[in-house]
Amino acid sequence: MVLSREQAAEALRAIEETGDRSRELRSYSRRAPHLILWGAIWAAGYALSDFFPQWAWTIWAIAIPAGLVAGAVIDRRARSAARWRYAAVALAIAAFCFATFSIMAPVGGRQVAAFIPLVVATGYVLVGIWTGSRLIVSGIAVAALTLGGYFLLPAHFLLWMAIVGGGALVSAGVWLGRA
Amino acid sequence: MGAPDELEADTVIHQPIRLKIMAALNALPDGEAIEFIRLRAILRATDGNLATHLGTLEQAGYIEIAKDFVGKKPRTRAMLTREGRRAFERHVAYLRDILDPVSKR
Repeated sequence: MVLSREQAAEALRAIEETGDRSRELRSYSRRAPHLILWGAIWAAGYALSDFFPQWAWTIWAIAIPAGLVAGAVIDRRARSAARWRYAAVALAIAAFCFATFSIMAPVGGRQVAAFIPLVVATGYVLVGIWTGSRLIVSGIAVAALTLGGYFLLPAHFLLWMAIVGGGALVSAGVWLGRA
Repeated sequence: MGAPDELEADTVIHQPIRLKIMAALNALPDGEAIEFIRLRAILRATDGNLATHLGTLEQAGYIEIAKDFVGKKPRTRAMLTREGRRAFERHVAYLRDILDPVSKR
């Protein structure tokens, strides 16, 4: 069998497009359970923080490590070769937030409660730029909902983040998983 | 000195659907399988068409098919074999060679 230049070019184009699509869907399927997990953690963490504000730091001090452990278990089950990256990303976000708060100290808990989701949403957008548009849409949605709740519903912001922010993450995870 | 190692088209792989199946599997890390439904979504192929071409690639030894159950749901997964990955790389090299024969090997 001898192929023409046009046939070869067309075949290489098909290979590249299919490979990209395969990598994109793989990326979605890997990230979907993490979004659902963190959506559930947000829902529980923000709701409990709203009901028991005096325990907010304790609640998150338990919820975040629990989420990291659960995320590592998910990656372990998926036999991901890059499990360490999950912890590294979480540490990078924590370090960034800590550094930011140390030079621009928040005046209230509501700012902290909004800032961290905005950092996470930015992370989704950045990862999405490289891997797939659904992550970009998810990141923008989470950021927009966070800002919307922060400015429009300040009195009920934590509850807003529990229901709408957590719900948005869970929905984004389901959406990615079905791609 | 022996004859040069001439590249040539792999007629099993070159068929358009099989070429895309191989491209989709080649994009995964070594030893990772892809579910039939995800492959169908990537290729936008019908169940019957996809199954037929998967069978051809399996017979050629280029992929492995694993069937099991997740709960009560049947699951079919396909994975590139080492031989399949090598054959695909050879075919891609052949295609590139047609477009750019000057820089070949």
